Amino acid sequence: MNVSYEHRTLFRYEGPLDMQLLPQVIKSVEQLLIGEKIRTPLRRKIISILIELAQNVIHYGIHNHFLPNPTISLTREGNDIILSIANPIHASQELFLRTYIENLLAMSKEERTVLYQNVLTKSDYTDSGGAGLGIMQVLIKSDSFSYKIESLDPEHAYFTITATFHINNS
Amino acid sequence: MTPVLHIDPSLTTPEIHFDLEKGHFSIKGSSYPENSLKFYQPVVQYLADLVRTHTPSPEKTLILEIELQYFNTSTAKVLLDILRYFEQLYEKGQPVQVRWLYLEDDTEMEDAGLDYQAAVKLPFELVALHEEA
Repeated sequence: MNVSYEHRTLFRYEGPLDMQLLPQVIKSVEQLLIGEKIRTPLRRKIISILIELAQNVIHYGIHNHFLPNPTISLTREGNDIILSIANPIHASQELFLRTYIENLLAMSKEERTVLYQNVLTKSDYTDSGGAGLGIMQVLIKSDSFSYKIESLDPEHAYFTITATFHINNS
Repeated sequence: MTPVLHIDPSLTTPEIHFDLEKGHFSIKGSSYPENSLKFYQPVVQYLADLVRTHTPSPEKTLILEIELQYFNTSTAKVLLDILRYFEQLYEKGQPVQVRWLYLEDDTEMEDAGLDYQAAVKLPFELVALHEEA
């Protein structure tokens, strides 16, 4: 029997992230996905999620030389593309993030979509001019989603979001 | 009010060209600015002024063309605000046509267009483009 299993890192970045760097990251990832022959709808879906998550890191992450840097990684595992983004956060944000994400995970995809539309049409902008929809968007658009929050020290934690996309769904 | 609003594109923001005389309004490119509310503030101001001062011309249709490659969720919210201003013009008797342009195999962008089409009460056309410009 011939079993083939593919696990390749397509892209990895570790370092400070800002709005000057983000377009270059997007361009690189887009070219890599084209090289992997990922069709337009899935490619654009992955890039959209990358933009949301990277902008969350830029807006809400902590930028401190004594803490681990943000990381972005894109891997291919067989017929899956896995996007993972991690960054340090204040430990005080952990409870909010866990509660928010667990509430979203408890919803069906349809319930999340209705909530997304409600927030889009009825809520105000966040202080940073955002819509507060980034993580919700990831849950709606990805085929599977996971997160972890690991303590770095009493005041800081490392927050990782991983979104998986099935290539067959494109 | 100034009849023409033009904003050059950047890597993270679209080209915006609103020309009241010609009745043509376009938003084209990618839109994921650091602060969408701030970036689109001149656009929102232009449209607020237009809604306040415009006298409907039934013989002239105002065309809003939106052709985006990528946009973030905060842009998604601003786009809805922009469409709401055109909705107000339409309600005042001004003919308006929205054209949502997307690459023909980009179902993500097509779905986004369908969502906006359902969210506003405006003549709203989805236009599939056959190849990337």
